[in-house]
Amino acid sequence: MMRSILAGLTEFALTLVVVAAVILAVLVPVALSQPDAGEVLRLFLLGPFGTMRHVGNILELATPTMLTGLAATLIFRAGSFNLGIEGSFFVGGIAATAAALLLPLTGFIAAPTAIIVGALFGSLACMVPGYLKVRFGASEMVNSLVLNFAFLYAGVFILNYFLRDPNAGALMSYRLPADFGLDRIMQGTRLHTGVIVAFAACIIGGIWLYGTRGGLNLRIVGLGPGFAQHLGLNTSALIMRAQIAGGLIAGMAGAIEVLGLYNRFSWVALPGHGWTGITVAILARENPFLVIPAALFLAYLQVGGDMLARNLAVPSEVVGLVTAAIMLAVTATAIFRHPAFLRLIRDIKGEEQAA
Amino acid sequence: MEDAIPIVAFDKVAKTYPNGTVALSDASFGIRKGSIHAICGENGAGKSTLMKILFGLESPSAGQVMLDGAAVNTVTPDFAGRHGIGMVHQHFSLVPSLTVVENIILGHEPKRGVLIDARRARDEVIALARRYELDVPPDARIETLSIAAQQKVEILKALSRETRLLILDEPTAVLSPPEIEELFSRLRDLRDSGLTILFISHKLHEVRALADTVTVLRAGQVVDTCPLAEVSDAEITRMVMGRDVDVSRRQRQAANAPVLLELKNVSTAGNDPADRLTDISLTIRADEIVGVAGVDGSGQRGLAAVLSGLMALSTGTISFAGTDMTRASTAQWRRAGLAYLPADRFTQGGTPALSLMENAIAGTDGDPAIQWGPFLRRGAIRSRVQAMVREFAVRTRGIGERLDSLSGGNAQKLIAARELAGAPKLLLADQPTRGIDVASAAFLHGRIDAVARGGAAVLLITADLDELLRLADRVIVLFNGRIVADLPNKTDLTPAALGPYMLGLETAA
Amino acid sequence: MIEAIWNNLTDPALFATVLRVMTPLLLAALGVLISDRAGVLNIGMEGMMLSGALVGVLASAWTGIPFVGLLAAIACGALLGALMAGAINGLGTHFIITGIALNLAAASATTLGLYLATGDKGMSGALQSGVLPSLHIPLVRDMPILGPMLSGHHMLTYAAILSVPVVSIMLARTPFGLHIRAVGADAKAAATAGVSRNRTQLYALMLSGVFGGAAGAYLSMGYVSWFAQNMTAGRGFIAIAAEVMGMGTAWGTFAAAAVLGIAETTAITMQALGLPNELMQMIPYIVPVIVLTVYAARRQAKARAHS
Repeated sequence: MMRSILAGLTEFALTLVVVAAVILAVLVPVALSQPDAGEVLRLFLLGPFGTMRHVGNILELATPTMLTGLAATLIFRAGSFNLGIEGSFFVGGIAATAAALLLPLTGFIAAPTAIIVGALFGSLACMVPGYLKVRFGASEMVNSLVLNFAFLYAGVFILNYFLRDPNAGALMSYRLPADFGLDRIMQGTRLHTGVIVAFAACIIGGIWLYGTRGGLNLRIVGLGPGFAQHLGLNTSALIMRAQIAGGLIAGMAGAIEVLGLYNRFSWVALPGHGWTGITVAILARENPFLVIPAALFLAYLQVGGDMLARNLAVPSEVVGLVTAAIMLAVTATAIFRHPAFLRLIRDIKGEEQAA
Repeated sequence: MEDAIPIVAFDKVAKTYPNGTVALSDASFGIRKGSIHAICGENGAGKSTLMKILFGLESPSAGQVMLDGAAVNTVTPDFAGRHGIGMVHQHFSLVPSLTVVENIILGHEPKRGVLIDARRARDEVIALARRYELDVPPDARIETLSIAAQQKVEILKALSRETRLLILDEPTAVLSPPEIEELFSRLRDLRDSGLTILFISHKLHEVRALADTVTVLRAGQVVDTCPLAEVSDAEITRMVMGRDVDVSRRQRQAANAPVLLELKNVSTAGNDPADRLTDISLTIRADEIVGVAGVDGSGQRGLAAVLSGLMALSTGTISFAGTDMTRASTAQWRRAGLAYLPADRFTQGGTPALSLMENAIAGTDGDPAIQWGPFLRRGAIRSRVQAMVREFAVRTRGIGERLDSLSGGNAQKLIAARELAGAPKLLLADQPTRGIDVASAAFLHGRIDAVARGGAAVLLITADLDELLRLADRVIVLFNGRIVADLPNKTDLTPAALGPYMLGLETAA
Repeated sequence: MIEAIWNNLTDPALFATVLRVMTPLLLAALGVLISDRAGVLNIGMEGMMLSGALVGVLASAWTGIPFVGLLAAIACGALLGALMAGAINGLGTHFIITGIALNLAAASATTLGLYLATGDKGMSGALQSGVLPSLHIPLVRDMPILGPMLSGHHMLTYAAILSVPVVSIMLARTPFGLHIRAVGADAKAAATAGVSRNRTQLYALMLSGVFGGAAGAYLSMGYVSWFAQNMTAGRGFIAIAAEVMGMGTAWGTFAAAAVLGIAETTAITMQALGLPNELMQMIPYIVPVIVLTVYAARRQAKARAHS
């Protein structure tokens, strides 16, 4: 028991080492380019913990990506490459906006209703490519990639023609009624109740994946399709359901983001949280429980980058580069499946030699 | 006057794979230039591995390969090609969407400036085909050709670079008798024109028809190498099969138990001969164990696949316990009482990345003892799996460990524990004790016997003839997708007696 | 709407618009085709185009010569292709994740690069970049009807169209093309013939980057002379859809790009007629889905008929 914990920690340690290496590879040159290199490192690595406001920023930035990360986790666990999470997130946002502006609701049912509307409409961006795959065999990856943009323009159309506030400066919706907004829970930050939903969703997702029959079946379909077939599982139904669930969660994420942070809807481009969610899912090794720390970690990097940007005029896009590099490095099978590393793990576990 | 130096010689060649499997332990023999040399042996004897080493697709763990008397170290396919060695693979190495010419010139294309000299390529291929009398349509895509025609292309590809030694791996597996005749006459012509031919086969009548010399491999070692004129079929069979082992047999039950499983005239299509069945008719009664013998690739995979709903029949019917199962899905078979121990433990029998616990309860949907609505009852599952582990003597550090942390034998016991848990009515066991320790194997044998006594029909597919003879009430032998023998397991049935059927020498349906 | 489509093909001005809109799609789709035939679907084409667009503008402004910008864009694409191949075959990363990572990195890196060069994150207005020229063919331009149709298009448009037969011949009749097709269809069989999968895919991805860089340069240096954040707007993904529509041939890809070019031009025309902007903008993204689904459905029906 001790041995397998140690072995698991070894893999985790290697992940940490790889991530740290990537960060330093980018950070050190940046630091050296500045007069005070130490200040750069201090700001980036420790700054985000400096004040409550920054910690709140981390949580606030991690809220949408915890949810999109969970969505991506479910989809990838099914072995599917449906990339419509980005589109689902956007549609979720605009649908929730429409619900807030058009539904005459007040009180505590207002926001949840709008969120549910957001989730339902948002799931279309994943469901359509998923359905086309199951029914016709068309690639859900290519279709979802392209449909993201179709949904974007559809959403902008609805914004422009039905929800637009003519008195506002740029293209944005009317003010969202206060009843639909999500409550702020930390003074001095924009942190809202959505973060609780995000935490809860990830934990529920983890319990479902590891503690229910449905979750076990999904894991079998993704990890061992041959075995799934031999068991007689209905693999295509399971894969479809995972994509629908992913779309619903991503749509919910978009709705929560809009209702929690903004009082008007103003997205005219794909916000990018879907792609970040994919990175989170990869970093979390497709484990819903680990989505929480993975999303927090990436948010922490983002906040660090923003602090560098604000105080030292180092552009925050550096973080985007680092994130992409981390995503690649963490999936490098040459590192994590290297015979030497695998032997180390086997030795720690003290495993019997293969019979 | 024979050439003293063999064109190829193996000197104590050994090969152990990274996962520990020993494919070859001591192969030493020489091949005379200008002869047709056959390599014979059961599956797992090491024949294919040896050829892959010669052709450069694998490298030996020990020992030397010698070409024309000189030792060669790293051999790659390109090196082999440049030194006149060509190989016709058992599973063709052709790219299906490319044409015949493209496949043959791949890697050494004649050029004209920046482009391929298409005309010269075509002319060269046609000349090559004419020279060896293997006519093929040069511009046809491989995927449109018949298997026999594809093999001709594969042979031409092997001959396309000044070949001196041609290796063929089970070349007649995919051919019909007239096609085999044509192939043999071509091979004899090639030998007469100076080529050396090396071919692997488990079909003794073909070996005798074609070869001058035969080398028998068994369990990774050379048993003997001798000219075919000096050895009889019976002796070869004995060398291939090994010594008879005195086995105790299962007590046969009365023959009037009800028929549970019935296959009538079942045939399947499919590119791979391992999947192909031709006119199989078979019945299995309750409390009966039917053993399936046959060299690998004789149709066992197809038989297992149709009985588990994984492959469709092209003709024939299957019925089980009175119900028509001709078009049944895997889920339907399982509901009807199928338990299946598949040949590929870690890709079909379980998921290596998941834990023992999870593997042990996979598929048993809706059992209220371990499930509360959708939720898996951890405690109940834990005790049940621990009981399974105890009962089946699975050695493990903990049931939370991954399946691939178990040795093969223990993993198989766990899979058996899962499959046998639900009082199955039909047990399909495919190589159930391959590669596992004697104690585990004996344990599983007891379990299989118990399942049969519980009233189930059991189909036991195995390459281990000792196991077969110990457990089965009846033995059927598959060859080329047909049942060539259906024999009661009496004491005079020995591996040597089965040999001729397995090797295609006899039929006694 | 049928009338609008017909006009696209016969009205010289609209015909020119179709070609203009089609050019980046065709270039990028050809790039996707080459590496896809070799077995790697280049999801990172969007990132390659975006990077090429920025690098082109930067080099052009720095040297004052637009052609240098084009060369720089192409070189940048090739480099990114090599990095992709290195990640996939060297580090052992999954090709889809590698493509996604490239897209994300390019989005950040181009904004970063833009900022470092101009102090602006939105647009490169401050830079004096040039424009790559259009070509007016001497005698042809004066011909009565065909003149305006054949002459006067952008040099990269001519290059894109000429690339179609070149790529087609390359794939079908050169040794390299044969290696690409072999490795993409069955890398193990190709290995027995001595054709290296890693090397072939490396060259194929670099070529893919060459086309992607050129497509990006067209966006930022074709008719305009600036780079704007995220100016590719998903065209890289449409190019992937076009390549899949093209059934794996250069001419098929050309036809697919043409269809999408007509779709986008029709959308533009109908916007001018007063139909909602955004809905028309959806058209180029919905047409590929419809075509791909129809193809897949027919392929499925055919497979079922055979079994």
